[in-house]
Amino acid sequence: MPKLDIPNAADAELVTSAQKGNMEPYEELVHRHRDKIYARAFSMLRNEEEALDISQEAWVKGWQRLTQFQGNSTFTTWMTRICINLCLDLLRKKQRQKTDSIDQMDEEIGGFERKLPVEDVNPTENMELSELRQEIDKAMEKLSCEHRTVLVLHEFEQMEYREIAKSMQCSIGTVMSRLFYARRRLAKMLISLKKERQR
Amino acid sequence: MKKDDRLKIQAFLDDELAPQESVKISDLIDSDLEARTVADELKSVQKLLKNGENELKLEDSRNFYWSQVHRQIEAGNSQLLRQSRPSSSSRMENPLRWILPIGSMAAIVVLMFNFNTVSPKPSNAVIPGDSTGNAASGLTESLGSAMEEEAPSRPEVGVFSFEGIWMNDRNLLESEDPSVLPESIENPER
Repeated sequence: MPKLDIPNAADAELVTSAQKGNMEPYEELVHRHRDKIYARAFSMLRNEEEALDISQEAWVKGWQRLTQFQGNSTFTTWMTRICINLCLDLLRKKQRQKTDSIDQMDEEIGGFERKLPVEDVNPTENMELSELRQEIDKAMEKLSCEHRTVLVLHEFEQMEYREIAKSMQCSIGTVMSRLFYARRRLAKMLISLKKERQR
Repeated sequence: MKKDDRLKIQAFLDDELAPQESVKISDLIDSDLEARTVADELKSVQKLLKNGENELKLEDSRNFYWSQVHRQIEAGNSQLLRQSRPSSSSRMENPLRWILPIGSMAAIVVLMFNFNTVSPKPSNAVIPGDSTGNAASGLTESLGSAMEEEAPSRPEVGVFSFEGIWMNDRNLLESEDPSVLPESIENPER
């Protein structure tokens, strides 16, 4: 069998080799996708240290469960799911330690998003992509972790309501409600940021 | 507009609504201004987020990051190994672990053997009524009186003492003298 050309091999080839216990191909996979895994952890946790720890833990878990990877999805999707589950575990742990946020209370009484006037302006017109991303990032940071998580899972990970509900251990109705609230809140925040820029 | 309708508009835009319901909501968006405005707002946020995720890059070098992961993998592996098989140190401890119970058991067996062979009375003791050869008939009475006589210097039958062992050893030595043979040898019928 020819020796694997690790730097030029496809992910699937590296995974197959790593599944046999070879560490070198796995190291290459870590190198290729570590930024994405870290970014996902950071988008959910909004804390650099926690995101770094969780991203590394995800790679450890990935190695330990590598034989379970069947190739039904891409390796990065599989790894991202591991990372998301670890983030959700951590968020749940933190949630148990603190009282409900004001945001969550607003959502539960169903009032806050109704009070928001519907806007029909494009809050990000004439913005560069990098600038837009920074603005979105700022706005995401201001969301509660429940709303941010549901938005990340739906918009960035393209997960369906049912999958999100299962991951977050809540009902589909709650997912829909949180997603609606998060989107509207995000729209308002982006408009505010635009107004601030124009001053 | 009801909250339920707003959520349905969102589900319609996310392609999560049943076909029958989708037709109804589509009509609502076409006919109702507020519904259309909500739909437009949601669409614009969807569009923004489509390419709006900030790209982050880890500052740690490849080697440093991997070394952290690798160390945790190795730690996890050794932990798994420890869980799956006994460690070399515990295997070494196994024989030592058995020394105490085996030693104790051996000591108990030796003591029990000695206990059973302890003579209930001194070799030169004379059992009253035994002279007839019918020991069984006056055993209780004769034993009682023999014990009363020996009580100050000798343990009772059935109670272990080191003195008994010592006596037993002496008995074995003395048994070579036919005149002081143990009672059981003197009277095999008993």
